Amino acid sequence: MNELWASPFFGISLSILAFWIGVRLQKRLKSVLCNPLLIAILLIAGFLSIFKIPYESYNAGGAIINMFLAPATACLAVSIYSKIRILKENWLPIVVGCTVGSVTSMGSVYLLCRLFRLDASMTASLIPKSITTPIAVEVSRAHGGIVPVTVIAVIFTGILGSIFAPFLIRLFGVKDPVAAGLSIGSCSHAVGTSRAIRLGEIQGAMSGLAIGICGIITVIVSMIFAY
Amino acid sequence: MKIIKQFGIIFTICWLGTAAEHMLPFAFPASVIAMVLLLICLLTGILKVEHIREKSDFLLANMAFFFIPAGVNVINYLDILKASWLPLLVICLSTTVITFAATAFSIRLTVHLLKKKGGQQHE
Repeated sequence: MNELWASPFFGISLSILAFWIGVRLQKRLKSVLCNPLLIAILLIAGFLSIFKIPYESYNAGGAIINMFLAPATACLAVSIYSKIRILKENWLPIVVGCTVGSVTSMGSVYLLCRLFRLDASMTASLIPKSITTPIAVEVSRAHGGIVPVTVIAVIFTGILGSIFAPFLIRLFGVKDPVAAGLSIGSCSHAVGTSRAIRLGEIQGAMSGLAIGICGIITVIVSMIFAY
Repeated sequence: MKIIKQFGIIFTICWLGTAAEHMLPFAFPASVIAMVLLLICLLTGILKVEHIREKSDFLLANMAFFFIPAGVNVINYLDILKASWLPLLVICLSTTVITFAATAFSIRLTVHLLKKKGGQQHE
């Protein structure tokens, strides 16, 4: 039976099926809680544990999917490039906002981890949690974090950001759409951006820009911090 | 052939990113180097978006899918999550609010200072 699961086609097919179910559920229920990635992870984890399939067998296919992460990250350049005009027009608020946002995120996570006495690997896993998954995973790995914990924390943060975005905008009286978009993007990356797009065109574009820029800033700051 | 060519361009950039990662004296993720390289290629006109449009649209639109295996790996770390789920919850929630506020206020201050400076120049 184990040979059956060990084929890479098994892991890839199961992932595609689970993701398809996740996307369908999100379309049907229209709720931010139905994040397709989160649903797919839960479905696959459930399937593997029910049928007692070792993670290594699933990962024969999983490793192949994983290989596409680097090219997908590189393509974030295309989404920055497509907004280059709006970036040039507002470069100072964008750079200041993303830098302050990234540093605040990392600093507050670090302090709270100390407060809760979490160990070094857990702290390293959580520090990049506000940035987009491909870059967060790299930052976590480089500093001794547990990559799967980072993935879960990043998705969870994104969902929180997209749920609370309209409330936070009102709470802090953010009237400027540029500031609203950048703030959503800097605290909740792509999941938050999907919500920002619904608030308006400028909010969506700014939130999208913040994903790539906060990512780069976080990599640089965490590198300096590690030294 | 068009799609294969686009795959070729992006994979080559990723490979150059990996090579650069090995050459750099400090730890900088290869995929982020590849992203910066691609942005430089687009800005300088070495590459046009048309050269990689279909492939990059495919990767960006389905980004979440590629994280499934990394997320499923969490089943090997369930005991860690069980041990510290409450701090995790508190940290994720509070830092999201703090980060949002810090970004919003810093932008408000920047825009305010820019306007003030702009106003002075006009006088």
